[in-house]
Amino acid sequence: MIEEDGADSAFAFEGNWRDFAPIAFTNLLLSIVTLGVYTFWAKARERRYLWSRTRFIDDRLEWTGTGLELFIGYVLAFFLFLVPLGFLQFAIQALAIRGHEGAAVLAVICLYLLLLYFIGVAIFRALRYRLSRTYWHGIRGGSDDNGFGYAVSHLWKTLVGSLVLGLMVPWAMTNLWNERWRAMSFGPHAFRSEARWQPLMGRYLLYYLVPIGLFVAGVVLAFVTAHAAPPESPEEVQTGLLLGFALAYVLFFVVLGLIALFYYAAYFREAVGKLSLGDLEFGFSARTLDWLKLMLGNIALVVLTLGIGAIFLGYRNWTFFVRHMHAYGSLDLDSFTQSTTRTAGHGEGLLDAFDVGAI
Amino acid sequence: MRSMSAPSEAAPVWHYDGASGLRRAPLLLFAGDGFVLSEDGREEGPFRFDELVAEQDGRDGRRFGLDGRPGWRIEFREAPPAAIAARLPGRRRYGRIIDRIGLWPAVAAFALLSALVVYGVTATPALLARMIPRSVETRLGDLMVGDFGGRTCNSEAGDTALAALTARMGVEGDVDVRVVNIPMVNAVTLPGGHVLLFRGLIDAAETPDEVAGVLGHEVGHVAHRHVLQSLLRQLGLSVVLGGLDGNVGGYTNVLLSASYSRAAESEADGYAIDQLTQARVSPKGAARFFERLSGAEVKAKGAGVVLGYLASHPASSERQKRFADAAKGSYAPALDADQWRALKTICGDRPRSWREGLGF
Repeated sequence: MIEEDGADSAFAFEGNWRDFAPIAFTNLLLSIVTLGVYTFWAKARERRYLWSRTRFIDDRLEWTGTGLELFIGYVLAFFLFLVPLGFLQFAIQALAIRGHEGAAVLAVICLYLLLLYFIGVAIFRALRYRLSRTYWHGIRGGSDDNGFGYAVSHLWKTLVGSLVLGLMVPWAMTNLWNERWRAMSFGPHAFRSEARWQPLMGRYLLYYLVPIGLFVAGVVLAFVTAHAAPPESPEEVQTGLLLGFALAYVLFFVVLGLIALFYYAAYFREAVGKLSLGDLEFGFSARTLDWLKLMLGNIALVVLTLGIGAIFLGYRNWTFFVRHMHAYGSLDLDSFTQSTTRTAGHGEGLLDAFDVGAI
Repeated sequence: MRSMSAPSEAAPVWHYDGASGLRRAPLLLFAGDGFVLSEDGREEGPFRFDELVAEQDGRDGRRFGLDGRPGWRIEFREAPPAAIAARLPGRRRYGRIIDRIGLWPAVAAFALLSALVVYGVTATPALLARMIPRSVETRLGDLMVGDFGGRTCNSEAGDTALAALTARMGVEGDVDVRVVNIPMVNAVTLPGGHVLLFRGLIDAAETPDEVAGVLGHEVGHVAHRHVLQSLLRQLGLSVVLGGLDGNVGGYTNVLLSASYSRAAESEADGYAIDQLTQARVSPKGAARFFERLSGAEVKAKGAGVVLGYLASHPASSERQKRFADAAKGSYAPALDADQWRALKTICGDRPRSWREGLGF
């Protein structure tokens, strides 16, 4: 019986960036001189470090994925998906140049749907791969699902989610989260996931309505200033307009970015908070302000080091994740037996190929 | 059976067997050539020391797995005694090959290899393009462009004039020169020897010599098989640089391709000048055309009109000068007045409105 006591979190990160720096810098060096081929091995090294310094309850995690697996995954994805997609693009160009615009548009739509489907496969398989390579107490996770069914869901739920002017996005996000986690397991236990979209709607509506409000406010403001101080020359009107647009543009993205973060923080708390495994329940404690600090810190790190700081982003994101992860309840180790799921011999190549993040 | 060693050669370890999540605390004891794990009189093993796999980048180098047994772990609870430590496998860090030859020699070797690969990928398309038969390239070109969506311009007199121009310029039969009804000042060469002169270019040209110069340049691309080369190079670079982080790879790709396309442009200019000289058509026409495009024309007609040509054919003063300097001796116009009029109107009498021609 293991229980999280009130003071200490079940998750803790026990490394520090000075230990990680030699790994990060040698990874960068080797990636450059190998034209990027080493990035797969670099990623495996980084994860091995991060996992092995992450303690869960009484022992650390262990990452057993290898660079070779990631490399094979990428090569497979390249030949199975990127090459055919390239040919399809070629066909679309050929159609357009011959004047069959209708057929070309149809082909573009097919291409888009196909991409959406494969992104679903990719997200599912990346999660499955990560769980199957994560060991704790000598036990790993995984899934016996191949992810094709999930990909169909991903396709139609994403499309439906963007229907009704995008109002159903929270429904699609939580629904898909539940669907993929319910297909996963760790040791003998299947994950349960009960994330709901209803608690997220308030924040989402804010995200949804603020741009409209901002737009209206902007128009009113422009109207009022134009009346209060009538411009004297056409040049003045032009400068005024340009200034107004620049301001509106910046304001729009800053404000919208903040609200998106506000929504995403709630989404992630809901999603992780409704996840459980056996008698263990999970929780995520990061508030919007924590996410904002992470983002600003990441930006500052990259900008102030002229980009080199990017090699520490994975470290920062992982430690942020671990710092805010919690687990409650108990785990009976006597019945905590090895996972019987199959393990694939290749890594999350498809996901890398599409350049989308996991989890 | 077991040769009981001195107590110092037993080491306390944490152990997971990979089947259950229970953590055990046995003693590791020498047994014959290998070791066993002993706890409360129960023994597991024997195992061989060479089956052990060191944890890569481990925290303290004390954790080991067992080859072929996922999840099986031992971790020495304190520094292992010397007799045991001597039998343990070495630490792993960067990966098998790099660990064996050392970080810096590996960096040097990889850098050298990468330089060779980049050189190979950028240099071989020229060779490779020559090895691919014209017929294959023609088929590829047909596949890509088809009949241009019926946008080619034809008129009896215009076709004759175009044929006269290509014959005068010594263009061979496997090059297919056409005028297409697109109101941009541009000319392109597509795979399979298809040279397209856009209607906007014919409209913008003031003398047939100007068109002859541009035609010579495009035919130069066909003769040197530049299109196929650049396709192959793009393909090679995107595969080789695919592993690099999106942006880095993209920039490198653009930089490398750009330097080669400059070389190709210059090569095509050289070809055009040779052809003009042989055909006794004045290269001054081409020089004037480039001059007009880069200066007055932009102001008069708006940048959009000529941007297409300038983007793919950078008009430098150097380039103008090269054509202007090549002018020696006496020349005859590339086409006579009637032929020139016929070519000018090959897409119909009046230049059509801008948007009409923009089919895609």
